[in-house]
Amino acid sequence: MSTASIVKTRAGKRIDAWRWGGRIFLVMMLLYTAVPMAWMLLTSIKSGFAAMQLPPQWFPNEPTLASYEKLLDPTNSVGQDFLRFFWNSLFVSTTTTMLAVAVAVPAAYAFSRFDFPGRKFLFFAVLLRNMFPAVIFLVPLFILMRLLGLVNTHGSLILTYLTFGLPLAIWLLKGFYDNIPYQLEQAARIDGATRFQAFFLIVMPLSAPGIIATAIYSFIGAWNEYIFAYTFLNKNEQLTLPVGIQRFFSENTTDFPGLMAASFIMSLPVVVLFLLLQRYFVRALTEGAVKH
Amino acid sequence: MTMATGLADAPLEVKARRFGFLRQAWTHRSDYLYVLPAIVVMLIVIAYPIYYTVELSFFNTPPSLQLRDKEFVGIDNYALILRSDVFWRVTANTFIWTLFSTVFAFILGLGSALALNHEFFGRGILRAILIIPWVISAVAASYIWKWIYHSDFGLVGAVLVGLGLAERPPNLIDSVGTVLPSLIVVNVWREFPFAMIMLTAGLQTVPDQLLRAAKVDGANAWQRFWHVTFPHLQGVSTVTILLLAVSNFNSFIIPWIMTGGGPSNASHIWITHIYELAFGRQRWGIASAYSVLLFLILMTLGYFYVRALSGGEKKERVA
Repeated sequence: MSTASIVKTRAGKRIDAWRWGGRIFLVMMLLYTAVPMAWMLLTSIKSGFAAMQLPPQWFPNEPTLASYEKLLDPTNSVGQDFLRFFWNSLFVSTTTTMLAVAVAVPAAYAFSRFDFPGRKFLFFAVLLRNMFPAVIFLVPLFILMRLLGLVNTHGSLILTYLTFGLPLAIWLLKGFYDNIPYQLEQAARIDGATRFQAFFLIVMPLSAPGIIATAIYSFIGAWNEYIFAYTFLNKNEQLTLPVGIQRFFSENTTDFPGLMAASFIMSLPVVVLFLLLQRYFVRALTEGAVKH
Repeated sequence: MTMATGLADAPLEVKARRFGFLRQAWTHRSDYLYVLPAIVVMLIVIAYPIYYTVELSFFNTPPSLQLRDKEFVGIDNYALILRSDVFWRVTANTFIWTLFSTVFAFILGLGSALALNHEFFGRGILRAILIIPWVISAVAASYIWKWIYHSDFGLVGAVLVGLGLAERPPNLIDSVGTVLPSLIVVNVWREFPFAMIMLTAGLQTVPDQLLRAAKVDGANAWQRFWHVTFPHLQGVSTVTILLLAVSNFNSFIIPWIMTGGGPSNASHIWITHIYELAFGRQRWGIASAYSVLLFLILMTLGYFYVRALSGGEKKERVA
């Protein structure tokens, strides 16, 4: 690290066109990324009237939190619906996450540690699942859910999210298990632990960052999912946020401040979660891809 | 295993190995318990639907989806698709959408990863901001951009008018010519952070010594990138591009929410089209046939995906 920074300062004295190109590029990327988000925030604190002006009020003349109050107030019908969607999303995402971790942990451990026949085939089957879009499965899944009596229940969503989240969850976790030295387990086995004890008491605690990452990934995936929720649910009290917001918008086509406020509230939990646990998340995602 | 050691005879050895497979599977039988839950869930929710889609694609199923009343039509559904104009329009759209989204997301991701690769004040914050679009829901992103593209009060229109580049705000997502590029901009906005994360991690595997040696030897920044950094990124780049291509090929939410495939199919891609055929017009047979075709295309892509990944695994073994 120290030698690298010496080289860097020496290079910095020369006027490096590439360095400046990089800076300009970064500023443009920052604008590209941040301006839409800033515009969402600015619109959400305008009144409906202030939002619909040309030239626009770049910063609202009279900032107001009216849209947020409306969405979060359980006494009016809009707020009631919105809060219900929020809780539905929270329930579905949390349940999915817990189940995904419970199923993915043993599977990933097996893929990482054991050399059972068919292991490779299974693993690629797991990865291949990632290739296929939800829509291919929608019609038969819809029939299946009807058969199981799960249409219009959160169970249908949890079951599908779990399955579709599993391949990636297993892949992420396997990357972590690969990095935990097998000798640790061997030592435990020699000291008289069973294989399961070695797994549960030695490997599990060490893979906590991986489990956290997998949990965030499942949560964000379930929180943002739209297609299945859109297809399987049509009762108003069951909807999750992405579908709920769409319904809200189709009923209030011109309430852009409300829509932006709703988008903001919907994004807030996942963004906060991501920013807090960024380290684990990024590491997990790249663990498998970069190793070679 | 001990059986095979003394025998030089080739066919016998094969037999022994085949026998060994079963025996190995038996000795490892408890290992399967760990993967069993995953397999059961996936068989129900994945294998069964794949079988069903193939079956439905050879039948005409009534809109009510009453499976008793379906009638066998052979490959009629497929013939109908390949003869329709919409199919070719949608295929062209999908191709443009996938190609440009993937290329731009990769280039912007690579650029950001490189520009963020050296230490400076505020780098962590900047990186976090650049990743946020990837975390927020595609539905929220679609609505944010729909509002930005709004034909009367949108931000883009206001800026263009303000700079004197346009007399009145342009109709970006309601006109056939501009809708697809406009949507690609949204898609790239959401996807380049993914490429950036992957490539940032990839950059950390480039040995510092090599870069310094190249510098001492008088290589300029471009030469250092092209001859040292880039070869090290090839593995990650392949995986990233494949993952981006697959997820772009499979996108649904952005076109569906922002335009619903309109105007006049100009922004319909395969997935939105299949969805509309199935759940909009209840043409289950045709939608399933479409899915099967899509499945075949994806299998081809999947072949390369697996090859890229297993190539990586081999190298890993050696290391």
